[in-house]
Amino acid sequence: MAEPTPTRDVGTEFALELAGLSKSFGALVALNNISLKVRPGERRAVLGSNGAGKTTLFNCITGDFPPSSGSVKFFGEDITFFKPHERIRRGLRRTYQISLLFNGLTVLDNIYLACRGVSNGRFSLIRVNSSDPVSIAADDLIEIANLQDVRSSLVSDLSYGQQRQLEIALALAGAPRLILFDEPAAGLSPKERSDLIQILTRMPQHIGYIIIEHDMDVALSVSNRVTMMHNGSIFKEGRPSQIENDPEVQALYLGSGHE
Amino acid sequence: MSGDQQSVVSQRWFTHAVWAITALCVLWLILAIWPDWLVGLLGRKKVFVNALLNGITLGALYFLVASGFTLIFGLMRNVNLAHGSLYLAGAYIGFEVSRVTGSWVLAFPIAFIAMAILGIILQVFVFRHLDGQDLQQTLITIGISIVLADLMLWRWGGEFYQIYAPDWLSGPVETFIQSSLSRRTGEPIFIKYPSVRLFILICAIFIGLGMWYVLNKSKLGMLIRAGVDDREMLAASGVRIQLIFVGVFAFGAGLAGIAGVVGGTFQSIAPGEDTRFLLSSLVVVIVGGMGSIPGAALGAVLIGCAEQFGSVYAPTYSVVLTFVIMVAVLAFRPQGLLGRD
Amino acid sequence: MTYAISTKRPAQEPPRTLAHWFDPTRIPAHIWVIAIILLLVPTFTSEFTQYQIFGWAFILGMISLSLMILAGYGGMVSLVQMTAAAAAGYAIAIFGTSAVTEISFAWPWPIAVIIAILASVLVCVISGALAIRTEGIYTIMITLAIGSAFFYFTRQNYTVFNGFTGFNGVQTPVLFGVNWKEPTPFYYLTLSVAGLSYWFTVHLARTPFGLALQGVRDNPRRMAAMGFSVNAHRLAAYAIAGVLSGIAGILLVWSTGQISPNTGSVGPIIDILVITVIGGINRPIGPFVGALLYVLLRTYSLDFLNAIGLDGERFKLVIGLTFLVIVYFSPNGICGIWDKHIKRLWQPIKLEEHNG
Repeated sequence: MAEPTPTRDVGTEFALELAGLSKSFGALVALNNISLKVRPGERRAVLGSNGAGKTTLFNCITGDFPPSSGSVKFFGEDITFFKPHERIRRGLRRTYQISLLFNGLTVLDNIYLACRGVSNGRFSLIRVNSSDPVSIAADDLIEIANLQDVRSSLVSDLSYGQQRQLEIALALAGAPRLILFDEPAAGLSPKERSDLIQILTRMPQHIGYIIIEHDMDVALSVSNRVTMMHNGSIFKEGRPSQIENDPEVQALYLGSGHE
Repeated sequence: MSGDQQSVVSQRWFTHAVWAITALCVLWLILAIWPDWLVGLLGRKKVFVNALLNGITLGALYFLVASGFTLIFGLMRNVNLAHGSLYLAGAYIGFEVSRVTGSWVLAFPIAFIAMAILGIILQVFVFRHLDGQDLQQTLITIGISIVLADLMLWRWGGEFYQIYAPDWLSGPVETFIQSSLSRRTGEPIFIKYPSVRLFILICAIFIGLGMWYVLNKSKLGMLIRAGVDDREMLAASGVRIQLIFVGVFAFGAGLAGIAGVVGGTFQSIAPGEDTRFLLSSLVVVIVGGMGSIPGAALGAVLIGCAEQFGSVYAPTYSVVLTFVIMVAVLAFRPQGLLGRD
Repeated sequence: MTYAISTKRPAQEPPRTLAHWFDPTRIPAHIWVIAIILLLVPTFTSEFTQYQIFGWAFILGMISLSLMILAGYGGMVSLVQMTAAAAAGYAIAIFGTSAVTEISFAWPWPIAVIIAILASVLVCVISGALAIRTEGIYTIMITLAIGSAFFYFTRQNYTVFNGFTGFNGVQTPVLFGVNWKEPTPFYYLTLSVAGLSYWFTVHLARTPFGLALQGVRDNPRRMAAMGFSVNAHRLAAYAIAGVLSGIAGILLVWSTGQISPNTGSVGPIIDILVITVIGGINRPIGPFVGALLYVLLRTYSLDFLNAIGLDGERFKLVIGLTFLVIVYFSPNGICGIWDKHIKRLWQPIKLEEHNG
C-alpha cells in the first residue's frame, strides 16, 4: 500500500513539541523522558504494546492530568499546565477509546455541542434559531462526516461503527489543527476499517494527526512517520517502511499487529 | 538527585521543621511558668490551659462522632446525614439506661449496641438497597433524620437532660501542669481539671489507636482498605464484602451512640444537638480529610480548640474562626489536611 | 460521577432535535388553564389564602427553583440557596428602612434591592467556588456547612446583623400608590415574579448556556474535550441561582417585615431541599408544586392531625415521612409520578385522535 506523501516543511514551528515529558503514578513510571516533535500537517502513528504509555501520553497532551516533569508546546505555545478546554480552543482535538458520547441526545445534538464548544456564545442566554452560524456549521459537519442518514437518531441507537464515525466527526468541529486519534480502529469490521482509512487519508492537508493503534496495517497505511514506544520510553522512530522492516521491532512485536 | 526531587525534599524538611517548632512552642507554653509579659499579653495561664484542655477533650468528643462518619464514607462512599440523629438517640438511650440502672459505665455498651442495630437496619434497607445512587441515599438519610428528630422530640420533649458521671469520676484531678508559683510557700500550684473529661480523653485516644491499628495492621483492616480502593475486585475475590460493609456501618453507628453518652455527660442532651453534631462532623471531616481516621483526629482537635479558644478570647467570632479554617482548607487543600489526593 | 436522579429521557418522548429546540414555545393548553386560574385566585379566596398560602408558596418555590437549576440542570445539589435568600433579606433590612434605626441605612429601596441581589449572588458564587473543587457528593456537605456558619455568625454578630433578634419593621415600598404588602397586591407581585422566574428557567434549558450546563452535568469530561470550561459554567449557574434566591429573599423580608438568624437556620435550609425533591428536581414546575404542598401541610396539618386523632404538633413527622416515601419510590418527585403514571392515561386518547 502506498504511503501518503510526506509533508512539506511549513516553517520551523512544530505543531506539537514534547520535551522531557515524564509522568509517574506513585512508583509506577508511565512516561519516561519523552521527546517528540510533530510538524503541522504531519501524520504520526504511535505504536507499542499495552502498557507502553501511549494513552498516558495522550492524556498529558490533552491535559487530563499534568506531567510530573517536562513540557508540552502546541504551535510554539507552552500549554503544559493549561486546562483541557483551553487546549481544545487552540485547535487540539482528541477521540476517545471508550465512548464519551451523549447517549441520550441525537447525533445532531452531539455535533451541535461540539461546534458550540469551539465558538462563541457558550454562555449565551438567548435561544438560537436556525440561521445561527453554529447550527449552520453543525449541518455542514454532518454532511462532511456522512452522517445525514442518522442525523436525528439517538446515539444509543447507533451501531458501534457509526458511533466511532460520530466520534471522529466531533473531532473535526471548528478549526482543528492537530487531532489525536485513540485507537479508532478498535472493534471495527474490515469494511468499517477501510472506510476509516479512507477518512483519515482524505483529511485536509493542514490538519495533522497522531494516531494510536494496535492494528499495524491501519497505522502504517495512514501515517508518514511512526514512533514506537516501549515501557514508557520512545524505542524507535522513522518512516513506516523503515519501522515495518526493522528487525528489533519485529522481534518485539511479531504477530501483535496481525490479529 | 534531579532539581525537582531536590526541591521536594527541601520542601519536606521545611514543613517538618515548622511542625517541630510549633510543637515545641506549644509544649513550652504548657509546661513552663509564664513570665509576666506573657501573662499581660495572653491573660492568665490557667485560662489558657483550661481552654486548651477543653478544646482537646471537646476534640475527643468530635473525634468519636466524626470518625464513625468518615469511616462510613471512606469505605462505602455513603454520606450518612442521619449520623447526628444516631448521636442524639445514643445520648437519650444512654440517659435512660443510667437513670434506670444507676450505672454510667453500662450506658456505653447499651448505647453502642442500640445504635449499631439501627445502623445495620439503615445499611441493609437503605444503603444496600439503593447501592450506587449516592444522591438518593443521602436524601433518604436526611428524611430519616427529620423523622427521628421528631420522634425523639415526641418521646423526650424539649427539656435538657444530663447524664451524671459516677462518683469515682466526679470532681477534679490535679494535673502535672503548673499554673504559677504560690506566693506563700514558693511551691508550684498545679492546675486542676475535671477527671471525667480526662478519662474520656484517654478512652478516645485508645479507641482511635485501636481503630488505626485494626485498619492498618490487621487482616480485617486490610480487607476494608482494599474494599475502599476497589470494591469489585474485593467482591470478585470471594470475600463477603456485604458483611464487611454492614459491620463497618454498625461500628460507625455504635461509635456515634457512644459519643452521645459522652456528650450527654460533658454537656447536655436536647433537641438540636443532632444537627449541631452533624455539622461539627461535617466540618471536622472536611478539614481533616474524608475517609481518614488520623484526619478526623487532627480535624477534631483543631476544631475543638478553635471553638474553645474562640469562645474564651474572641467570643463574638468563635464561629467565624471555625468557618475560616474550613474555608482555608477548601481553598488550598480541598481533599482535607490528611485526605488522599 | 452522575446522579441517579433521572438524566435519561423516558422512552415515549420523541428524540430531541435542534428543530425541537428552535420551535417557538408552544405553550401547552394546561399551562394556559393554570395561568388563568392563578390570575383569578383573589376573586374566590380569602386574603389569608392569598398571602399566607400562595404568597409563601411562590417565595419558597422561587428559592427551590434556584436549587432546581443547580441540581436538575447542573447536577449540583447545593444547600446554600436559603442562606443566599437570607443574605438578600438582611441586605434589605440593613441598607433599607427598618425599626432597628441604629443599623439600618434607610437608603432608597431600589438601591437596597440591587445590593440585596448582589449579596445573594456573592454568597452563591463564593460557596460554588469552594464546592466545585471537590467531588459532587461533597457539595451538599460543604454548602450545608457554609449555611450553618452564616446562621451562627448572624446570631452572634450584633454590630451588623443585630444578633439573635435580627431586624423587624422592615418597610415594604409603596409604589404607584399601592402598598405592596397588602394581601392582594402582594399576591400579584409574587405571582408575576414567580411566573417570570418559571418562564426564565424553562427558557434557560434551551439556550446555549443551559444546554452546555446540562452537558456538563451529564459528561463533564466530554464537555471539556469539546472546549467548554466546566468550572466556568458551574460558577455561572451558581450566579444565576443567586439572582433567583436574592429576589425571593427580598420578597420574603418584604412579606414578613422581619428577618432573623432563624430565617437561614438548618431547618429552613433542609426544607428547601425537601420541597424541591418532593415536587420534582428535574422540572421547573416541580419546586412550585412542592412548595404549595409544603405550605398547605404546614398550615393545615394541625387541624388535619387533630381530626384523625394524632398530636397536632407532629407536622415535621408527616413531612419527613412524605419526603421519605417520595424519595424512595419516585426520585423525580410528584412530577415524576405525574409523568410516569398520570400522563400515560391520556396517550391512548391521543392516538385515537390521530387515527380518526
